[in-house]
Amino acid sequence: MRKTYRVLGLLIALAVVVQASAIAFGTFGFINEVDRGTVFTPSSDAPNFGPMLHAINGTLVIPVLSLALLIVSFFAKVPRGIRWALLVLLAVIVQINLGFFSFDTPAIGLLHGANAFAVLGLALTAARAAAREAPVPAAAAVEEAIV
Amino acid sequence: MAVKRNTRVIVGAVATLLILVPLAVMWLSSLAPASYSVMGMGRAELGGGPADAVHAGHDDHGWDGPPPGAADVSVAELTGPAGGEPDVAVQLVARTEQVQLAGTRDESIPAYTLNGATPGPVIHAIQGDLIQVTLTNESVPDGATLHWHGVDVPNAEDGVAGVTQDAVPVGGSHTYRFVAEDAGTYWYHSHQVSHEQVRRGLFGVLVVAPSGGIAADHDVVATFHTYGSTATLNGAAGEHRHVAGPGESVRVRVVNTDNGVLRAWVAGAPFRVVAVDGREVNEPAPVTDAAVVVAAGGRADVEFTVPADGSAARVGVGAAELVIGPAGAQGPASTPPTEVLDLLHYGSPADLGFDLARPDRDFDYRIGRRPGFVDGRPGMFWTINGRMYPDVPMFVVSEGDLVRMTIENSNSDNHPMHLHGHHAVVLARNGVRATGSPLWVDSLEVDRGESYEIAFIADNPGIWMDHCHDLEHAVDGLVAHLAYTGVHTPFRIGGPPSNEPE
Repeated sequence: MRKTYRVLGLLIALAVVVQASAIAFGTFGFINEVDRGTVFTPSSDAPNFGPMLHAINGTLVIPVLSLALLIVSFFAKVPRGIRWALLVLLAVIVQINLGFFSFDTPAIGLLHGANAFAVLGLALTAARAAAREAPVPAAAAVEEAIV
Repeated sequence: MAVKRNTRVIVGAVATLLILVPLAVMWLSSLAPASYSVMGMGRAELGGGPADAVHAGHDDHGWDGPPPGAADVSVAELTGPAGGEPDVAVQLVARTEQVQLAGTRDESIPAYTLNGATPGPVIHAIQGDLIQVTLTNESVPDGATLHWHGVDVPNAEDGVAGVTQDAVPVGGSHTYRFVAEDAGTYWYHSHQVSHEQVRRGLFGVLVVAPSGGIAADHDVVATFHTYGSTATLNGAAGEHRHVAGPGESVRVRVVNTDNGVLRAWVAGAPFRVVAVDGREVNEPAPVTDAAVVVAAGGRADVEFTVPADGSAARVGVGAAELVIGPAGAQGPASTPPTEVLDLLHYGSPADLGFDLARPDRDFDYRIGRRPGFVDGRPGMFWTINGRMYPDVPMFVVSEGDLVRMTIENSNSDNHPMHLHGHHAVVLARNGVRATGSPLWVDSLEVDRGESYEIAFIADNPGIWMDHCHDLEHAVDGLVAHLAYTGVHTPFRIGGPPSNEPE
């Protein structure tokens, strides 16, 4: 369970990197098309799979991974494991909301970009918390030593 | 130690169930059966009007809906004229094929064609004509229908798969017959898997001229459609020209077949918006530096006179342009005007023909958005009056009712709302009453944060869709129905014909 917790934390961190890569790909795709004279309308296809990957990874994959991390945290003996998992989930929920509000108010996109690092940092911290064995309670350690 | 560990596991398991069980319940309740009747969907809303036996029992009958009342008329009987030679008879053959868009050097794209072309042929008729169109499906694998967008046809001719007919399978055909009672600009498109079939080109335009003939010297159709990432006018990319002499009058019929809003304007000559959604504007004033917003699915007819000095006028239609003037004449350089014409305060008022003080039905159509599941798919989805598809409202009306409806958009996207079979007059936007020519619409653009009050007479019995015409939203569940008492539909969503209207 502890290893699963760690792997999930690392997967979430990786997924955040995928998010940044995908949206950069999409943005450069748009700029590239516009430079070549393509006109975009509300019904136009996106220039590449970047925006679609960002949407699916961001609204489906990352939330599922975050929920899985939380559920695993109930059973994994990770110091403050539940707390970190809850924080990751909270940061993800905030991130998705910021994303949807940004379509209407692009300035909110500034927060969406910054909060991505919070998600990444929290996921890595959670993974790191699971890197070592949970410390055995002092009394039991002394008991074992005596025996 | 062991006790403490067991407690921890139990608490963990309970917490897990508290997360997973509600999600599973939401997922399960979002699933629709393989075949169901739209009469069984969601909840009946009576709008303050009288309950009838059939719809009052709506919620108890599950996915098959309530059984038909003894005196109920079937949608299948609400057809156009059964006999009589048609004044306009058209054969349309629908095919799946690769199309090379004119005006581009791009590779060919997969498309749906009607008689080998997309858009399909423009159908011309005169007010009062009996129109007969036979649709043959040669190779559209999902089946196809034709819906007459903006034409208030008898219900059985409405072309909605699973509600007014079964989708026409490959090798099959279906004949539509209706009288063109109202002059104006309309369009026709498939209403089977419409989000995909309209995008890929299964549509065309219908122009009904008034019985006295078209007043302008030139009558030009400007159909805007985005194929993939190519913006086109009448199926072709690039610059479009129409030759017209100085001083001649031109009527341009702008048709928006996309999912998003478009702006239309004329540079180089003052223009008037003479019709919206097929209904004439009363005493339209000349406009010089503003654009008219055309909702997805909507039409706007603009009229202007070619400048006397030999120059051309440039008509902007969304991302496309149409230069109209003498051969070789250049239009002015034109950037889209920033100002938008407010159609609620344009033209002169006229009598509506009914007294709004006491509507027979008063409905709310509140559009929201929240996370959830639609048919097993998770995502951020639309809600109508607080509930998500398939728990959508069935607005119940009786023939002759005066219906008032308030449409509110409280979420982060715009919604072009389309009511089949009827035109509604827009009374107010955000509480400010309309003061101009009565704006009769069938496709109303409801922007973020806006609310509209509309009214219409229930004078066309049937089961009618009332949905967002951003078809990507419709396929995610932003659909509702208007159901007349005394009408029952034998058609079903899904089933052997695989009826899938969105």
